[in-house]
Amino acid sequence: MDRFVVSRSHSEAYQPDRRHPLWLSIVLICCSLAAPAQQITQRGNSSASLSTQAIHLLGFANAKNNSTGTLSVQYDSLQFQQNGKPGAIVKIALVRDVFLGAESKQVGGLPMTLGKTAAPFGGGRVVSLFAHKKYDTLTLEYVDADEGIHGAIFQLTEGQGELVRNELIARGVIVGSRQDQSTKESAAEATHENK
Amino acid sequence: MKTNKCNLSIACLISLVAIILALPGQLPGQTGTAKSSGGNGTPATRWSVQVDQVDAGNLDLAYSFQIAIYENLVVELKTTKQFQQVFREGDRKASEAPNLLVLKTTVEKYIPGSETKRAVTTVSGATKLTVRSQLLTREGNVVLERTVNGEVRLFGSNLRATHNLAHNIAKTIKQSSWSGSGQPTAILTGQL
Repeated sequence: MDRFVVSRSHSEAYQPDRRHPLWLSIVLICCSLAAPAQQITQRGNSSASLSTQAIHLLGFANAKNNSTGTLSVQYDSLQFQQNGKPGAIVKIALVRDVFLGAESKQVGGLPMTLGKTAAPFGGGRVVSLFAHKKYDTLTLEYVDADEGIHGAIFQLTEGQGELVRNELIARGVIVGSRQDQSTKESAAEATHENK
Repeated sequence: MKTNKCNLSIACLISLVAIILALPGQLPGQTGTAKSSGGNGTPATRWSVQVDQVDAGNLDLAYSFQIAIYENLVVELKTTKQFQQVFREGDRKASEAPNLLVLKTTVEKYIPGSETKRAVTTVSGATKLTVRSQLLTREGNVVLERTVNGEVRLFGSNLRATHNLAHNIAKTIKQSSWSGSGQPTAILTGQL
């Protein structure tokens, strides 16, 4: 008698537990889908920061050309920080203009290029046909303490450039009249690249 | 006796090493003196240059290219050491510089290329830039005028054309008969 009662209550107590793995797996799948987006862009509260992975092509303060790092908008400044190195900072108030562009580039860098060159029977060319990726280019115009004009170019993952640009605009950067023209030109260039 | 011979050989070796080490240090010093004295013994006037932003004219040139040419020009001109100081457009210190030239760059021709086309075909997809570079005095007199090309034909991104162009402009200025010293008199025009 006692055994029956225990058995019944036992089964009732464990019935909801059978659903737990299902819920857990759903939550895990959702988390794994959201993780890459978290890695690319991390956005804190409104006054804190927006940060994204970027390649500094040239011109930003004392940052090294063609270096990979994190581009972040923090409070009143724009910062580019390479891994484990002190960041290069430009005050947002000194940024005069922001331009957005798009470009298609071959992936893999020099090792891939050498590999493609060494591939027999023109195999490398076939790889080149598919091994390209679209990027956003973010061009900044800013002034230094002596009012000398500087320019900086960053390469970002497609779609990220607009986020940074919008963040800068939200923090008071006035976009010049050349913006529309520049975007149009960049789009035309990207179209040309895809032909 | 043997010890004396050993000591002598060690002393010889040390003196030989000392001579070898001392020679390379002495030679650059000599060349430095020769450079600074100049040809006729009079100190040459050293000019500074102010790099103006690139004028794209009516061409459909992306702003990133204009900025890249401008930034690369500043870097390349500094590398040549032809000028005492290299200023950027808008720099307040430029107005205080005694001998200032202004470098104006106008884009005349731009052929957009494609990195993928270059990688696939090798022969097509080159990005080409042609600019007119002018060195002017404060009064607006043209000291040097050249048409310079920059392109990327095989490896590298499209922006590499701007680096090649800036390098060519700096090289042209360095190699021109106007040497960056003395009074600019003749107007030099040509194409590289």
